[in-house]
Amino acid sequence: MTLRPSEISRQYQTEAYFLDGVIPHAQKIECWIEKAADMLAIRTKATTLYWKLDDVRAVPDQGGKDLLVLRTTSEPLPRVLLTDPSYIKHLPKARKTPPVTKRGKLVAWSFAALTSVAIIIFGLVPLMANQLAGFIPPEGEQALGDVTLTQIREALTDEAAPISFCTDTEGTRALQRMQDRLVKAQALETPLRVHVLDHKMINAFALPGGHIVFFRGLIDKAETPEEIAAVFAHEIGHVVSRDPTRHALRSAGSIGVLGLLFGDFAGGALVLFLTEQLIEAQYSQGAEAAADSFAYDMLLKAEISPAALGTMFERFLELGGETDGITAHFMSHPALGDRIEKARSAEPAGFQAQPILTPKEWRDLQTICGDSHERRGKSLKN
Amino acid sequence: MTRDQSPWGAPKPDPVPATPTPSEPQDHLEGEFLGRRVRLFGLALRTGVLTILTLGFYRFWMKTRLRRWYWSSIRVGGLPLEYVGDPVEKLLGFLIAVVILAFYVGVVNLLLMFASFSLFQGNFAAYLASFVGVIPIWFYAQYRARRYVLARTRWRGLRFGLEPGAWGYAVRALGHWTLTLLTLGILWPRMTYHLEKYKTDRTSWGTGRLSQGGRWQMLFPSTKWVIFGVLISACGAVPLTWEALETPLLSDMMYAKPYFGLWVALISLGIAVLTFGVFYYRVDSLRRLTATKEMNGVGLTLKARPLRIFGIHFWGYTLASIALFVPLVMIMVVIGFAMAGLIGAEDMGVDLDWLTTLDRWVLIVINIGLYFAAFLMWSVFTQTFITFPLMRHYAETLTLHNPDALLAVRQRPRDEHIEAEGFAEALDVGASI
Repeated sequence: MTLRPSEISRQYQTEAYFLDGVIPHAQKIECWIEKAADMLAIRTKATTLYWKLDDVRAVPDQGGKDLLVLRTTSEPLPRVLLTDPSYIKHLPKARKTPPVTKRGKLVAWSFAALTSVAIIIFGLVPLMANQLAGFIPPEGEQALGDVTLTQIREALTDEAAPISFCTDTEGTRALQRMQDRLVKAQALETPLRVHVLDHKMINAFALPGGHIVFFRGLIDKAETPEEIAAVFAHEIGHVVSRDPTRHALRSAGSIGVLGLLFGDFAGGALVLFLTEQLIEAQYSQGAEAAADSFAYDMLLKAEISPAALGTMFERFLELGGETDGITAHFMSHPALGDRIEKARSAEPAGFQAQPILTPKEWRDLQTICGDSHERRGKSLKN
Repeated sequence: MTRDQSPWGAPKPDPVPATPTPSEPQDHLEGEFLGRRVRLFGLALRTGVLTILTLGFYRFWMKTRLRRWYWSSIRVGGLPLEYVGDPVEKLLGFLIAVVILAFYVGVVNLLLMFASFSLFQGNFAAYLASFVGVIPIWFYAQYRARRYVLARTRWRGLRFGLEPGAWGYAVRALGHWTLTLLTLGILWPRMTYHLEKYKTDRTSWGTGRLSQGGRWQMLFPSTKWVIFGVLISACGAVPLTWEALETPLLSDMMYAKPYFGLWVALISLGIAVLTFGVFYYRVDSLRRLTATKEMNGVGLTLKARPLRIFGIHFWGYTLASIALFVPLVMIMVVIGFAMAGLIGAEDMGVDLDWLTTLDRWVLIVINIGLYFAAFLMWSVFTQTFITFPLMRHYAETLTLHNPDALLAVRQRPRDEHIEAEGFAEALDVGASI
């Protein structure tokens, strides 16, 4: 020993116990602070050890408040156990957390984890979903649609029961007439199943297995039945190209991966959020354009002006401010202005349109969710 | 051994008030638990809030801190356990597991979903297959997590350790489970014993290797309350079924058969006894297995009381539910009144249009807030009312025999285990602490 204790200022001497991390024995020791050298001295039976005061840390989160457990950042194993916890006031750095090690590795693996999740969610899963959507048999596709529809209804509800379908007899008949007019000119592979959901959202969407769902809000806001028919034709376009099937398969793959990443806490909320996203189905711009042109074609064959789709889009733009803070399905689609233009120009010169519904039928469709006084009152006020 | 050399567990020269040391001779060391419930509550609450604020990423720090707290509260012969796990290595291990599992979860789930809808017109088959497929990984993860926790636990300065062998464990666990299910649970004790033996025989403390003695048949007596429960239920269920076959109408049965009430009471009693029996089995089999563990001549006994453990679970969940749901219901009622008040105001002609545009977002925020708060408080309350008293009871009823033999043991090398408990974390195995 070059430093002899007697030569240096010795302060705060106390008894303590020492675990050297080699032998499982708590040795009784003396320890004190060498003020001049800024060291914690630990005198065991065999020798005296010196720990730099700057390296001494108290092991945090101790359950028993009668012990102060000290360690040094320079060595992982040894511990000093003090029976006087107030001794910590003599140790300037005791409460500092030890520096983060393995930072490089951490960054590398974080990057790897994010990359692999991104590749799987944005690459592999969509790719496989697109391929597989073509192979799923009609019954399977229908079941997939049924399940998704139930999920959406459950996600949208504020109360215990899922939001209900609107099934007024006259209204349903009017909707059926509209469907017949549209489909008459063109045979469809998948039989359609059309629903109206009693919800104020201004929206409509398609699900696997020929499900087409309108929200009450859309019917409330449309001014002519042709506007509804135009949206109808657009959604049939999605059904025919099987966009919803791809989308449902894709979310089956990605929801699990996101749940894995976020764990219990946020995972549950995230799954709910994603179900809600299903409704806002973000198809690619190409898929939207294809559904639009399918709709023009279908509308023309049914002797309805394709411009009605443009009118509906315009309506969405106008309503932009009052769609309950939710960007409606069509609003979120890119380049709405372009699509309005396209819809306008899709109407050939001298086109003679035939009304799709009689005024009586249109009134029936408007009251498919029941003749709610409350709603009437509101629309009068507006 | 002189007093000077080994003060811990022996009569101490300077008795510490908070840790009174038993005055028996040094032929055994007693376990004790020092942490206070209110401190745990504070720690669980603080770390839980941080976990939510960081979208769940603080949970690695939360887990580390809670374990550090629990471990340091447990003392055997006056010396605490120490948990030296590092949150950063947990995060790292989790990321590694995500890289590996993301592929499995994404691609395999998608394929299963496709196959299930194509072949069975429903998603049940997919969920089933995905569940079954995860079972081996679950056991694997469980063993790996145990290895990590033991490798990061020290007592008297020496590390614990568990040999690698996670796949071996998964295979054995699957085999034992199959056998147990095929024998309708009769071979359950055999499974308990052999899986425990597999783990114990691979466990070390320093250079000392543990071994599990005894034989699996010794666990049969632990099943007694389960058997009583089943028998009592059967006494009610058999005659009830008999009568039900004779009188198909429930209403007829209730009036015409005088013993209907008795049979139902017997079944209910049987189920209650069975529930206690499950706890009894867990605690009693643990006592028997602990008493037959050995390391270099050092032995253990655990005097945990099944009724106490049952009571902790029963009252713990009751208290936690009350503590969670009473405030929750009160908040709901207040919101309800506030909404009713708004509707009333609108009827009186007050212009509240700005509110209708606001309400959806406000509601979403309140809902998300309540959802997270409920999640957080539930975990805080279960820590406080269940995990804490369980740990305390087990610690206080533990005794270590022949402690002199401990001194022959030396340190073991560090087990790096870079993936830590990542798989367990990703798959939510053993999420409590």
